[in-house]
Amino acid sequence: MDNNQKYDAAFMTVFEINADQLNDELKYQSITTWDSVGHMALMAELEGIFDIMLEMDDVVDFGSYATGKTTLEKYGVRF
Amino acid sequence: MAFSLDCEELKAYQPNRFPFLMIDVVTEVEPGKYAKGYKNLTNNEWYFPMHFPGAPNMPGALQLEALAQMLTVAITTQEGLKGKVTHALEHTVRFRKEVRPGDQLVIEATINSWRRGVCVGRGVGYTNGEVACEAKMMITIPDILEQYLPK
Repeated sequence: MDNNQKYDAAFMTVFEINADQLNDELKYQSITTWDSVGHMALMAELEGIFDIMLEMDDVVDFGSYATGKTTLEKYGVRF
Repeated sequence: MAFSLDCEELKAYQPNRFPFLMIDVVTEVEPGKYAKGYKNLTNNEWYFPMHFPGAPNMPGALQLEALAQMLTVAITTQEGLKGKVTHALEHTVRFRKEVRPGDQLVIEATINSWRRGVCVGRGVGYTNGEVACEAKMMITIPDILEQYLPK
């Protein structure tokens, strides 16, 4: 499984969504499961998958499926 | 280092008051790790006359509340969190026996993780040495959690 697949799997697992929902429209609070609790669960899931520890500013900036990859690239995750 | 909190001292670490204060004493708390204590139950509890007439039994929701209040003490005794309000996020509870007048509900709450304003923990309530209720709990301090959310 490459990093793109791992990234997608994290969203699908945490938010209980399908692959066809992974698009640029997927943002914080755009679906019911991406609420405050879901956001923390996603951060924890990604930290576990990629063995990283996100800084506070990056947790705040991680506002969408699309921009999240840019955030993770700061921690050496390559897509 | 562990310490105890009497009936007045514990009020500094969780905001509930009569008739919703569901813990009497914290016998031992280690901030950020665990809290233990108890609630003594008598026929004078406000809910027993109506829950239920002739068969008094502490409502399950209040048993869960007692577990959550003890977990809150384990959270808010950490440095800088005294007096903070907590909110429940998600609880899964199992009730195993009735909790009745004359019982002492002994409560043990343990923090499994505390991060970014969210606590995941577990609580167990005992009466007469047997498990009466147990719960997996997720509690937050909204003031902290909100600092980590996308704007």
